Amino acid sequence: MSSNNLSEIMVDVENLNVYFGDNQVIYDVSFQVKAGEIIGMFGISGAGKTTIVRVLTCQINKKHWIGNVKVTNLSPARKKNHAKILSNIGYVPQLEELNLYYELSAMANIETFASTYGIGKKKARKIATDLFSILDIPEDTWKKPLKKMSGGEKKRVSVAIGLIHQPSILFLDEPTTGVDAAKRYDVLSYLKKLNQQLGTTMFLITHDMEAALICDKSAILRDGKMLEFDRNDNLISTLPSDGLLARLTIEDLNEKKINIIKEFAPVQKVIRVGNEVVEVFMEDFQNNLKKLIQYTMDKDLKVTSMSKDDAAFRRYFQIRIQDEEEKERALRESSEFLTSEV
Amino acid sequence: MNKEISHKNSIGIDESLISKLKNRISRLISQIKKEFRLLKSDKINLFIALALPPMIIWLFASMSTSATKVLPVKIVVISNDANSYFLQDNETIITTWDNYTDMYLDAVEDSKYLELVEFYDGSKDKYAMETAREDMEQGKIECIIVIPVEFSEFLSTGLPGMIECIPDTSNIMYIQDKLNAVENSIEIFVEDNNLDPQMVLMEYDEYSVPSGYNYRFNYSMITLFPFMVFGITTVLTILVVVQEKPIPRLLLTPVKRYEILISKFITYTIILALQIFLILTSAMFNGLYVAGSVVDLYIALFMLGFIGISLGIFISTVSKTKTEANQLFFAAFIVIILLSGMFVPIESMPEYLQAIAFILPLSHGEPMIKGILSKGKSVIGFDFFSLLAVSVVLIFLSFLAIKRKKYEV
Repeated sequence: MSSNNLSEIMVDVENLNVYFGDNQVIYDVSFQVKAGEIIGMFGISGAGKTTIVRVLTCQINKKHWIGNVKVTNLSPARKKNHAKILSNIGYVPQLEELNLYYELSAMANIETFASTYGIGKKKARKIATDLFSILDIPEDTWKKPLKKMSGGEKKRVSVAIGLIHQPSILFLDEPTTGVDAAKRYDVLSYLKKLNQQLGTTMFLITHDMEAALICDKSAILRDGKMLEFDRNDNLISTLPSDGLLARLTIEDLNEKKINIIKEFAPVQKVIRVGNEVVEVFMEDFQNNLKKLIQYTMDKDLKVTSMSKDDAAFRRYFQIRIQDEEEKERALRESSEFLTSEV
Repeated sequence: MNKEISHKNSIGIDESLISKLKNRISRLISQIKKEFRLLKSDKINLFIALALPPMIIWLFASMSTSATKVLPVKIVVISNDANSYFLQDNETIITTWDNYTDMYLDAVEDSKYLELVEFYDGSKDKYAMETAREDMEQGKIECIIVIPVEFSEFLSTGLPGMIECIPDTSNIMYIQDKLNAVENSIEIFVEDNNLDPQMVLMEYDEYSVPSGYNYRFNYSMITLFPFMVFGITTVLTILVVVQEKPIPRLLLTPVKRYEILISKFITYTIILALQIFLILTSAMFNGLYVAGSVVDLYIALFMLGFIGISLGIFISTVSKTKTEANQLFFAAFIVIILLSGMFVPIESMPEYLQAIAFILPLSHGEPMIKGILSKGKSVIGFDFFSLLAVSVVLIFLSFLAIKRKKYEV
């Protein structure tokens, strides 16, 4: 299995800009991925996640992009490098039907894809046996047509296909989409297990925030711009009080009551996370928590429960995107004001 | 920057080139294996490819019964034979010639394939032919047999005899039945009166299936062969590219687009070779008469099948969805059949339609098969090379289409 030097740069992207005609879809994106890391690329639909991966996986012609991009030290800008890059990477598409021949068995699928890399039947079966064992794919299903397998099993076979040629990097497009909520954690834990046992660098494109649990670093994209790229704990630590939050359940919660909480001076951010639940971020959390409780009582807000927690990546993402939207709105309003003044 | 160092082997060939070639061949073989696996898993396609064609041949052979089962043919005999007298200087001369008209009528009576509805003496009834034609128009009879004036004289004096036959041609499928029935009566007539080889039946048709062969089956094969082989191979291949969803994913491996297409051509060409063998075997078993060479027939059918594969893969490559491929196939097939010359002779079409017909497969397929089956012609000829040229163009266009096709995962 792949044995990468941990300091080795597997993906190096510098000032990537992607254009389709007059339409620019990626703006000055730069990041690096080291060997053995799991990177999560998060963003809502249309953020540009897939476009970046398509550049990295040689799917977008060089005429559409500029910038310095290297994948396993080879530039996708040169067509000559494509075969080598494609041999060094694995890809697991979002939809299994794009990766699997449902009419064939898991083993036949493995053999088909392995042979495209020049891997013989015997070796392919040996690697597949190891992978299926890590991925808990029952042996009695290996030779059955895939159409008879469950969705989760298909997803795992799909991952095994991505790894059959022991690639240095595995790109996974929405690996948990379409999987039952209960099985999502299974898929993520399998990926982590593979990463630990095989040392494969993984690159996840997803809008499932739970995937951040297994990621060493996360990138947040919005409208083709990379807002952040760092370790999750580093990102969360930029929140007020290092991401400490108070979760309040308030009876008959409405916008007016949220605004009352916002008026409390130390409060920096209030996020509604449920019908009657808000999460409150504030400066000097430990000292101000009691004051916040007193404030809610003074303002006659009926708080039925309160807890203290650390912010998860999901919350960071939400706050970061909201901040960006607010900035844009402010910018747009000031520009409209200036235009009307002129 | 990665630099490749080239090493040359003992015969001076770059080893990296050999390695690349080996990899390509290995990938191609793996793709072909995949195609066979997919075909094996698709029972319906496998059935269409290998079982259906021989079944169609068997079906045609079973339903194309010989004429004996749908007879007797109702006939009228008009005799103009001056068998026992003739006029010379206004005097009736009685001859000693045998009455061969009566002998022929005896043969008609003996034949189980004919039913004599009426006999007219043409020498006495000048409206005999007109009456007989009216009977035919009204459907009372199916054939008029005319015995010529010097019938008895000629046969008595050792000259060749001849009988004219006017069949009802309103139903093209039964013309040969009628001619065969008349031929049977002549065979009896010849045998009973020891007239061989003096008495001959005049053959008006250019091609006839020798006796002992199922002529209806053989006639139908001329049209059925090209239609079936071309149709089935096209149907088999119209979805092979468009319905293979993992193609974009395969392109994220070292596999090249052209390798995917080549593997499909090779797989279906192997299937075609087997298919033609099965078709010919079942056709020969059911009494196919081949005037020419069976090898030529095999090559001709193979060529027709190959152009079907080329068209099918081309449609599959240019189509975006399965529905689009099916619609495109249907539209193409209608035009191909209409302009094939089966319904209207190509020569009688306007020039611009003739030009279109020229590039369509069935326009060349039927003449080529007919030439081999009925006239013993060689497969190598204008039609063969026209089909080959169209195949090459379709293959080229397919490669161009897959090269430009947008695949994304």
